[in-house]
Amino acid sequence: MTGWPLAEDAPDTADLAKCVHCGLCVNACPTYAITGLEVESPRGRIHLARAVAEERIPITEAVQGHWELCLQCRACEAVCPSGVPYGHIMERARAQLDAAPPSKGWERRLRRFALRNVIARPRVLAAMLTPVRWFARSPLRGLVRASGLLRFTGPLGRLEAQLGRPGRPFRPRDGAGEGEVALFTGCVMGELFGDVHRASVRVLERSGAKVFAPRGQGCCGALSAHDGDLEQARRLARANIAALEESGAETIVVNSAGCGAAMKEYGELLAEDGEFAERAEVMATRVVDFSEYLAGRDLPAGRLRGRVAYQDACHLAHAQGISSEPRALLGAVEGCELVETEGADMCCGAAGIYSLVQPGMSGELRARKAAQFREHRPDVIVTANPGCQMQYEAAVREAGIEARVLHVAEALDEAQDGG
Amino acid sequence: MTANADLLKALRDVVGREHVLHKPEDLLVYELDGTFDRALPEAVVFPGDTEEVRGVVRACNARDVPVTPRGAGTGLSGGAVPARQGVVLATARMRRILDVDPVERTAMVEPGVPNIRLSEVAAEHGLFYAPDPSSQKACTIGGNVAENAGGPHCLALGVTTNHVIGMEIVTASGEVEWLGSRGPDPTGYDLRGLFIGSEGTLGIATKVVVRLLPVPETVVTLLAIFDDVESASETVSAVIGAGLVPAALEMMDRVTLQAAEAGLRCGYPPDAGAVLLVELDGIEEVVLGQVTQARAACNEHGATEIRTATEPAERELLWKGRKGAIGALGRIAPNYYLLDGVVPRSKLVETMGDVSRISEGYGFPVANVFHAGDGNLHPCLLFDEREEGATARVLEAGGEIMRVCVDAGGALTGEHGVGFEKNRFMPWLYSETDLENMRRVRGVFGNEGAFNPCKVLPEGAGCGEMAHQKGALAAAGPDAYV
Ligand SMILES: Cc1cc2nc3c(=O)[nH]c(=O)nc-3n(C[C@H](O)[C@H](O)[C@H](O)COP(=O)(O)OP(=O)(O)OC[C@H]3O[C@@H](n4cnc5c(N)ncnc54)[C@H](O)[C@@H]3O)c2cc1C
Ligand code: SF4
Ligand code: SF4
Repeated sequence: MTGWPLAEDAPDTADLAKCVHCGLCVNACPTYAITGLEVESPRGRIHLARAVAEERIPITEAVQGHWELCLQCRACEAVCPSGVPYGHIMERARAQLDAAPPSKGWERRLRRFALRNVIARPRVLAAMLTPVRWFARSPLRGLVRASGLLRFTGPLGRLEAQLGRPGRPFRPRDGAGEGEVALFTGCVMGELFGDVHRASVRVLERSGAKVFAPRGQGCCGALSAHDGDLEQARRLARANIAALEESGAETIVVNSAGCGAAMKEYGELLAEDGEFAERAEVMATRVVDFSEYLAGRDLPAGRLRGRVAYQDACHLAHAQGISSEPRALLGAVEGCELVETEGADMCCGAAGIYSLVQPGMSGELRARKAAQFREHRPDVIVTANPGCQMQYEAAVREAGIEARVLHVAEALDEAQDGG
Repeated sequence: MTANADLLKALRDVVGREHVLHKPEDLLVYELDGTFDRALPEAVVFPGDTEEVRGVVRACNARDVPVTPRGAGTGLSGGAVPARQGVVLATARMRRILDVDPVERTAMVEPGVPNIRLSEVAAEHGLFYAPDPSSQKACTIGGNVAENAGGPHCLALGVTTNHVIGMEIVTASGEVEWLGSRGPDPTGYDLRGLFIGSEGTLGIATKVVVRLLPVPETVVTLLAIFDDVESASETVSAVIGAGLVPAALEMMDRVTLQAAEAGLRCGYPPDAGAVLLVELDGIEEVVLGQVTQARAACNEHGATEIRTATEPAERELLWKGRKGAIGALGRIAPNYYLLDGVVPRSKLVETMGDVSRISEGYGFPVANVFHAGDGNLHPCLLFDEREEGATARVLEAGGEIMRVCVDAGGALTGEHGVGFEKNRFMPWLYSETDLENMRRVRGVFGNEGAFNPCKVLPEGAGCGEMAHQKGALAAAGPDAYV
């Protein structure tokens, strides 16, 4: 008995049964915090999935709406005493939406097309983003902004509003060569956040690591998986596994929390894949987050003056359980005064492509961050995920304060470089 | 206009269109709380203040529609389940902290404020709110008032009723009233005390004034490890017998330890037969003396190891395990039936024996977590509701266990309330006259039966899916126990 349109990628009945509806997760959930609605809470979303599985209800537009408002930040999973694999459940619930969307079908198809044909193809992505980068740095941008034209372009305008001033790209060939530690370069990350990669390489090298960027690697697949396109996510995972195996690296350092979390779960993603299941398990064990890697190593202390507010990246804190490491790394820097803002571990609303498709909720969450920044007035805001950095740039503007937004790697690099 | 459309319109007029849920899918998630009783409401409404609460209650009363208040829905006796359908009145929008007075050491909050939030805000002033249910991350102050909630730290300090000094309520008939006060104890009947623990059957608390306490200077938590539950239980008696009143005195058995350790990695010994968590707090010299005494009692009764946690982080970890323990049972079984019985402390060991005998007889594994200090047992029967007839049988077993508690001179509930779940057992403890008097009390608040129906007092037909309780009653014997 099952009401799922796409049986092979349906949420696992045993996973759903693990939820004992104790409700202990609801206050950790950003969408519940904002709405106070049980339907916008993890317990509610799981209950709806169970109702679909038990054929009590079909997947209606309302159900779709509640699932799509989920940020997939996995804060609920981190606090659930019962071990409900929420992230897993939601990816599979989304796969059902993808297979038979009750509404917004064209939007989903367009998204899938973009994820498959742009994000996942390094050359296409580079070709698309080169003008974006150029535009973002040119005087033209100011003119366009002033004209108000972008207000009429929906997601495009929102994207523009968040776009910082991207530096030079960093593609695998920029870090080619030999080494023991592989840097994962990702998709958008490499194109728009080349500076973060370069900073990462420098910091890793100062810790004594020999770093290189293996060829053939590409998008980690997280964006597709979260959107429910598991087929595409598996394809990308297989390609990365092959490339990273080929490189011979024993350790793969990932500086984007979302990619790291996805790669650490390659084993589960490919569990049914005869050829790749085992290789995926092995690859997953080689993946470490940037902060996690540095936590056990000697680093030059460096200097960085000012009040620093670290904001947890969801897929680092909740999915990988890493929250003390980056704080400790920053805390060890001379002159750095760490300030804890309320809700530092709550999602900022960026959440992959969420800020583009759910601007309302995303904006509410950004406003919460902005209010905290206004209150605590940090000089630097540090996080560990590229998408979040853009959202924080916007939050800083909203707060009307002067603060820089840096990735942990950039902050450490700057400190070590003399501050 | 259909009856439903008329009701929806009336509710929307009171709270605004966006604060009324009515789509079947949306209603679905309000069909249950933390336990397994279920019933679908016709609408869920979210008033924003006292006036709107009153408006909703009146609109429902005018149409003979039942109203069921709901906080966070963590209740364990079906209290927030709309047994006769009608309207669920949720307090989720009423979650402001209205004021904190560090001099008087009081705070006034709206009912939807989560328990943990109150503690966090109080902490900014070096104060805390004592009742700390294990569900405190989610459960609301309104729900706590309704259930007279307790928690691990209520042994020395008392439960909700000892910490709520007054409140504003909207009665079942839709009147706004104040019970109790902000000042010292008022004279006259203690209506405040009557309302606390009334399980949402007399009205809705709309503002709650609580007492806050200064954070103790020194806190020490001991984790004492034992080979079996018997030695741990004897230690409990010895600790209390020695004249110590620990801030908390909690026990967990092996099954619970294994689940908690697997789920929460809090450093518990998964092979131990039982552990005790003993927390002592107060002025440093006194606490250190008490720690020595408590350790001695543990050692005398066969503790194999005693760990001492003094740093906040260490203590938090030990408590994280305890507070997450019940939820963690979801890792070892798809469902649990969490019972809440009280027995005199001297009957603890004997009752535990009966509990395992009964659950074994039914073939359900049992996990035990309890507030050992006050004889409040929480046996959890583990089962899978998807198995044919399992729910009915687990309720039967639960009925037998409740009977054992009552026969041992105990009570039907320590802190989770009678609710939907145990109302049929009330005649075991109360005479028909007692029950009739309780019904009259409802009448005083204007509840003629439609306000949170089917809760606390045994009531007739029409109460949702509760038919399965018949089996439980049959198993536990005739209800002639008075
Ligand atoms: C894992 C877990 C652990 C728990 N541990 C404990 C514990 O240690 N100690 C303990 O005492 N309980 C415990 N509970 C039970 C539960 O959390 C408490 O009963 C809590 O007080 C319920 O609060 P709530 O906000 O979730 O209320 P709900 O479940 O929403 O409602 C409970 C009752 O309160 C009524 N109600 C809600 N708001 C109001 C209001 N404003 N005015 C009047 N009536 C209202 C409802 O009608 C209902 O009858 C636990 C539950 C779980 C799931
Ligand atoms: S997801 Fe976990 S924490 Fe949330 S209700 Fe279910 S069991 Fe409880
Ligand atoms: S993943 Fe985040 S947004 Fe989604 S239910 Fe869990 S806590 Fe809420």
